[in-house]
Amino acid sequence: MSATEAAPRVETPTIGVGRIGPVWMLVPALVLLIGFFVLPYLSIITMSLREASTRAVYGEGFTLAHYATALGDPFIWRILGRTLLMGAIVTVVTLLLGYPVAYHLANSRSRWTSLLYIFVLSPLLVGLVVRTFAWMIILSNNGVANKALMAMGLVVFPLQLMNNSLGVTIALTHVFLPFVILPLLGNLQAISPDLAMASRSLGNSRMRTFLKVTLPLSLPGIQAGSILVFVLSISAYVTPAMLGGTGGRTMSVLVVQYLVDNFRWPAGAALAIIMAIVALIVVGLYLKLTARAMRRLP
Amino acid sequence: MTALTIDRINKRYGDLHILKDISVPIGKGEFISLLGPSGCGKTTTLRCIAGFERPDSGRILFGDRDVTRALPEHRDIGMVFQSYALFPHMTVAENLAFGLEARKVAPAERKRRIAEVLSMVRLQGYEARFPRELSGGQQQRVALARALVIEPSVLLLDEPLANLDATLRDEMRFFIRDLQQRVGITSIYVTHDQSEAMVMSDKIVVMNGGVISQFGSPRDIYERPASQTVAGFIGRSNTIAGTITETLGADSYKVETSCGTIGTHGPSGLARGADVRVMIRPENIRTGRHGEAADAPASDENMLGGSVVSATYQGNATQLQVRMASGDGMVVDVSGRDPLAVGDQVTLRFSSRNAWLLAS
Repeated sequence: MSATEAAPRVETPTIGVGRIGPVWMLVPALVLLIGFFVLPYLSIITMSLREASTRAVYGEGFTLAHYATALGDPFIWRILGRTLLMGAIVTVVTLLLGYPVAYHLANSRSRWTSLLYIFVLSPLLVGLVVRTFAWMIILSNNGVANKALMAMGLVVFPLQLMNNSLGVTIALTHVFLPFVILPLLGNLQAISPDLAMASRSLGNSRMRTFLKVTLPLSLPGIQAGSILVFVLSISAYVTPAMLGGTGGRTMSVLVVQYLVDNFRWPAGAALAIIMAIVALIVVGLYLKLTARAMRRLP
Repeated sequence: MTALTIDRINKRYGDLHILKDISVPIGKGEFISLLGPSGCGKTTTLRCIAGFERPDSGRILFGDRDVTRALPEHRDIGMVFQSYALFPHMTVAENLAFGLEARKVAPAERKRRIAEVLSMVRLQGYEARFPRELSGGQQQRVALARALVIEPSVLLLDEPLANLDATLRDEMRFFIRDLQQRVGITSIYVTHDQSEAMVMSDKIVVMNGGVISQFGSPRDIYERPASQTVAGFIGRSNTIAGTITETLGADSYKVETSCGTIGTHGPSGLARGADVRVMIRPENIRTGRHGEAADAPASDENMLGGSVVSATYQGNATQLQVRMASGDGMVVDVSGRDPLAVGDQVTLRFSSRNAWLLAS
């Protein structure tokens, strides 16, 4: 017997929940994820590596040509850039609009607050297509917005408010506002009001208290909300398809055009994968950046 | 000259009258407790002083400067919270520097004062720690240091010990009181814990339902409570209803009660025939067995008869519940070794100096 032999191991008793429970509880979600996310994704990756074919969805052989073509095409780069820029603008604007609302909701004890909650959630209570049509009525050349502007004499000719990036940005900002308000609200409500009072008592103005105490402590909410909105914006389809025209065409619209209109499944799949990878990189960089800013938070 | 004057402040929230004509003069360097049950208005009063609430009427003066309408950041206060309220994203040193930066104190001076105040709260070497790395007691000491390092004119403490466990709480009482006296800072302390207020304060403001029930030294409030509410809130007490039959001098009375005539002292100016209650603290009553050949009663001593209903051993004393002939119940603390048993007939003896009249 060696001197280093371990002492007799005592089996730690585990009862149901201790060991088995959590694993079992993961199964339904895992099945769903594997069946409807991982497998389809693998299939799209495979498809993007297949040769094009005129007789079937894709041909027999494997090739990287679709990636090479896409990455060598300035048009694709422009659409990709526009998609990311639009996502960034929607994210920043929803943050700027949503933060004051979340801040107000977190600090308000008025009985009108519940009404404001419904108001905040209202974009989500209307169906996607109906909502987008409503935006078309408002933003089109002889729509409500232009008529109002012309009636007030602010413009002579109607402004181009849709069939470009602007219309898509406006509509996406509207619908994704709740996605930035809700995480921020949860975050702001968890910050003790005593902290702001402590800061004021130490001689700091409301503004300095906000900048030095509340804002840094709400970074997790900002991070969560902005990632949600960014990812949802760059992958949105119906809104850019209906409001974007050619001037506001995004990657997701382009991918669907490849698949449905041009029947170029492998090339479309390659575009989708490129978009996914780029989104992953952008979100990864953003996480790294924000994690640096949040390293002092508990 | 008073360091802080609260002058007839009122505060309403809708129909609720939270503060009714609250006036308290506070001398320089005094430690004042606002004591009362939750909802009595003590925290609202503190927030009015801090500037987080604005009274509907009345004035608040720091020295002779009217701060009633001043913002909290312009009042020159230090504040300590029940939740500690340390900034979780700042180290101990940064927490302490935060108020100094707002006051534009030069970096070298900042450093010196932070080191000084950290040694006062015995937390040297903790500068680089984050609040979450400290125990509750240490966090509260940092909070105290943060409030003191800016050298405010008034220190406001809002139930600072309520989140600490009992042993630590006892220790911190003396720590805070000692520190306050060394610094000599005028302090206002909100608490619902009467023993805390008792041991720490120069003066106590007993509040109830938005009004001041009594303002006085701990001794005043314990021995000469102004009302039955105050007597009931501070320590334990027995009260017997009666009517004044005779006034002996300015503050001595004879009161006819259902247990017999009791000699007592009380607030001056009570008229004969007034309905009153006589209050006696349990620790001021001595007991003797009924019919025992005890020493003759002193001239100012009261003797009442009753029977023991229950006896509860409490270590340092035995607490007796005694039923009087009239049916009134009395609580008595007996420190002696002589155990009285349930059913024993006893004589309760107390000096008229230890009996106090409460106006009914």
